[in-house]
Amino acid sequence: MRLLGLLALLLPALAISDEAATDDMQLTVKPLLCITDNRNPSCDMSFLIVWQSIATGYYCLFSDFTDAPMRCWNEERKGELNDDRIVTQDFSFWMTGSEADTRLAEVNVEVLRLDSDDRRRRRRTRHVWDIN
Amino acid sequence: MFRRISQLAVLLLIFGAAPGLAEEEIEDVNQSRWRLGAAFGYGVRTNPLVQADDIPIIVDVDIAWFGDHWFFDNGDLGLTFADNHTLTASVVARFNSDRIFFGKTDTRFVSFGVGGLPLSEAVEFKVPDRDYAIELGLEMLTDGPWGRLQLTAFHDVSNTHEGYELYADYSFGWRKQRLYLEPSFGASYKSANLNNYYWGVTDAEAGVIVAPYEAGAGVNWHTRFKLGYQLSRHWAVSIVAEYERINDEAAASPIVEDRNVLGYFTGVSYRF
Repeated sequence: MRLLGLLALLLPALAISDEAATDDMQLTVKPLLCITDNRNPSCDMSFLIVWQSIATGYYCLFSDFTDAPMRCWNEERKGELNDDRIVTQDFSFWMTGSEADTRLAEVNVEVLRLDSDDRRRRRRTRHVWDIN
Repeated sequence: MFRRISQLAVLLLIFGAAPGLAEEEIEDVNQSRWRLGAAFGYGVRTNPLVQADDIPIIVDVDIAWFGDHWFFDNGDLGLTFADNHTLTASVVARFNSDRIFFGKTDTRFVSFGVGGLPLSEAVEFKVPDRDYAIELGLEMLTDGPWGRLQLTAFHDVSNTHEGYELYADYSFGWRKQRLYLEPSFGASYKSANLNNYYWGVTDAEAGVIVAPYEAGAGVNWHTRFKLGYQLSRHWAVSIVAEYERINDEAAASPIVEDRNVLGYFTGVSYRF
């Protein structure tokens, strides 16, 4: 029970921040983490991108994959988009307004490689435990 | 014969430092040479000795450094002399792992002697102490779609038990994004000298509580199951359960109470 209590205290602190916002714009992306290893060097991901602004206007969603916007909304104050893609490295989604150079909100998607080509990093040691 | 393991290991340590000995340098520009982490939670490893406490696990620190040839991994010091697509072979120096149980023994007054006979008065008894042994040996790691195999052969180089151990461990890791499962199992053959030093009872140590005992060679079996869930880049939840069956010769020792060593740990881990 004590452990569950500890976890309950820790987990909110560990919760992955999936929102990025300026005062006026909120951008939410799920999921935010892609985990790869030697057997699975890429992630086949389906992103749900949701944005909301306090003001109606012209907004565009960009990503690191293309220079062109993924989609633009006119006279809207919220929107969402599903995006399926294969991911192999870190990248970002961000929202702009009428000025394309100004990022109103940005979210970074991380790619975490948990395996190594170095076999020694996976060797088992005989010290007290070997949890990590 | 197995003394040659350590002699060969020493030779490889001396000459192995020469650059270029490893067939293929281990290098990943994106990966730090350091591996630093810690797990926080609660776990226990049972102690097979009589009058001994289980070993609590609250924090487990992971400190390792991997160079092109040399590496340090949580107390193990190694020199890699071969690394290719099939296997990685290293000379490794380490401390013996059997000694850990002897650090949690208690002194108690005992009313029953050898054979369970009642004593006229209680006698103070403590499991005899054992020293850490420094062991040197060879380690071979290989892997493939079929899983991972770790084979080691170690010999005492500190004149402590003067024995040797052969060890094999097979594991298979399975990942589904954040979830990771890894069952493993294996065995370790412990020579008579090693087994007798840690689990035997000498004439000088024997008395009214325990009789002298000489342990021969034997094989320990172990199995382990690890479950991990990656919360973020640095944090993960870990659950580990382990079982080790101590060999017959050690289990028959009067200082051994339970031949089954059980362990578990549940907690969160942080990797820098």
